[in-house]
Amino acid sequence: MMLGVYDNPDTVFSVTENLVKAGYDVHDVYTPFAVHNLDKVIGVKRTRLSIAAFCFAMTGLVSAIALQTYASYFDWQMNIGGKPSLHIPTYIPITFELSILFTAFGMVGCFFIVNRMFWGRNTDIIDLRVTDDRFVIAVNIHSKTDVKALEQTFVSGGAIEVRERAKDL
Amino acid sequence: MAHATTVQIREEKFIFSDKAKRLAFILMGAGLLLALIGYFTYHPQVEGFTDEQNHHLPIKRLLASILFNGYFFFIIATCAAVFLAISQVANAGWYVAIRRIPEAMSSFMPIGAIVVFGVVFLSLVVFHGGIYHWGHDGVMEADPLLAKKTWYLNKPFFLIRLAVFTAFWTWCATMIRKYSQNEDQIGGLTNFDKTFKLSAAFLVVFGFTFSMFAWDITMSVDAHWYSTIFTIYNFATGWVSALTVIYLITWYLRSNGYLDGIASDEHMHDLGKFMFAFSVFWTYMWTAQFLLIWYANIPEEVAYYKPRMFGSYKFFFYINIVLNFVVPFFIFMRRGAKRSRQVGVFVGTCILIGHWNDVFLMVMPGAMNLAAAVTGDNPTGIIETPSQGIGLMEIGFLGVFAGLFLYITLNALSKANLYPTKHPFLKESILHDTGV
Repeated sequence: MMLGVYDNPDTVFSVTENLVKAGYDVHDVYTPFAVHNLDKVIGVKRTRLSIAAFCFAMTGLVSAIALQTYASYFDWQMNIGGKPSLHIPTYIPITFELSILFTAFGMVGCFFIVNRMFWGRNTDIIDLRVTDDRFVIAVNIHSKTDVKALEQTFVSGGAIEVRERAKDL
Repeated sequence: MAHATTVQIREEKFIFSDKAKRLAFILMGAGLLLALIGYFTYHPQVEGFTDEQNHHLPIKRLLASILFNGYFFFIIATCAAVFLAISQVANAGWYVAIRRIPEAMSSFMPIGAIVVFGVVFLSLVVFHGGIYHWGHDGVMEADPLLAKKTWYLNKPFFLIRLAVFTAFWTWCATMIRKYSQNEDQIGGLTNFDKTFKLSAAFLVVFGFTFSMFAWDITMSVDAHWYSTIFTIYNFATGWVSALTVIYLITWYLRSNGYLDGIASDEHMHDLGKFMFAFSVFWTYMWTAQFLLIWYANIPEEVAYYKPRMFGSYKFFFYINIVLNFVVPFFIFMRRGAKRSRQVGVFVGTCILIGHWNDVFLMVMPGAMNLAAAVTGDNPTGIIETPSQGIGLMEIGFLGVFAGLFLYITLNALSKANLYPTKHPFLKESILHDTGV
């Protein structure tokens, strides 16, 4: 994997554009802040997080209804203000809250799993400087990739550093 | 897609076409005609009512139809001004491309305020009550529950605060509009800073005064009843309707070739998210108000829901939830739906009809009731009138005010540039991107 380190979002953008046009396999571009439209250039796919969120919300909804029906109807019926034990309006607040709780926790869990963040594991950051003020373009190298030309593209685009990284992310 | 660092900012004007003008006038004319036909052909024969009691109903229905339609469009225009103020105070950048649309909508405010004030004045002063039960002569003194509210619910104070509030909001909206148009001439940050300060002041004052405004205009129709969440529920109604109108007008402009390269699907997406989110917000408020009353089961409070939920207004009550929650929630949840014109216009129309129906449901049941002597058998002094449904009068005045609103909005839109060309955040707004 070849890394080109830059210090300007505009040059990163144009270099990435050129690399994609030239047919290189751009792994990802790491930036300290969002660079608009860069995701479209490197062809980031539509996130599936919303589908996951919907599934978590449905899980929360079903468990909330199951819990309340079991507790307040099947297990122990109580007379509260003469209201029926099995009645939709009483279930709205808890169902609403549990759907949100499950969604929130599920999404945080998804975030940890997708980014491979676990207890006792130090995250492998591609270059520590991307958390500060540097931009890194990572290009995957295959057997046919012309490394010399790639390096040339990096440098002529204004890279302040070009290096190879042995370990893939 | 290219990295668009350069954007084309040109002066663009909206041309108010004859076709659109004709449509607005047809809406107004046909609406007025329908309303008049409705009024003169309305001879109610309610079971158990005497002829004299039946005789009261047409004028009540006429006033209530004007009031709830005028109120609906007035809060839409006001919430458009609030949209500007909130975006300004939050230093939002994305909305600048469509900023002139809420600005144009807010120019309906003076007319809306006059209509609301006029109907209230007619009801309270000319007809001695009209749609307001508490306004009938002698009611406040005879009714022990209402007697406690006399310090707040009395005609002079009511009319004065209504005039002061609406005048202040209208003045704020006018100034915000004026600063924005001055900015087109001279540029710079002076007008931006002035708008910021005025918006902050407007929002604080609006927050408090809108509470009283909503209590006065719609809640005091059912004078015995009170709900502490009613204001925010009313605000949610106006706010989501205003966002929907902005969304629909933006689609109208874009499909007619305006705002090309300025407002994009990204702006539609964000407005759509707002519509979705605030439809849920409205439902939250609606449910919160309903649930507490349902749980507590106090007679004065439950009296509000009885005719609506189990009585003759049942249909409108349930269709309300379908149009305002089920439709936007399930149809508008997907990303593609917010970016599609067909789906957007369908959902937008449903939301507008739904909230119109919601305001109808707030005003009509209470407004049509008759006042009677407070006795042991009838401690509230109210004779309930069954639902007269939605007829020519309601639809007619909807047409009148919709036409008027369209005409004033589009006319104001054609007066200034279609987007603020020298706004400091314009470039940010044009490049706005909601991500993949």
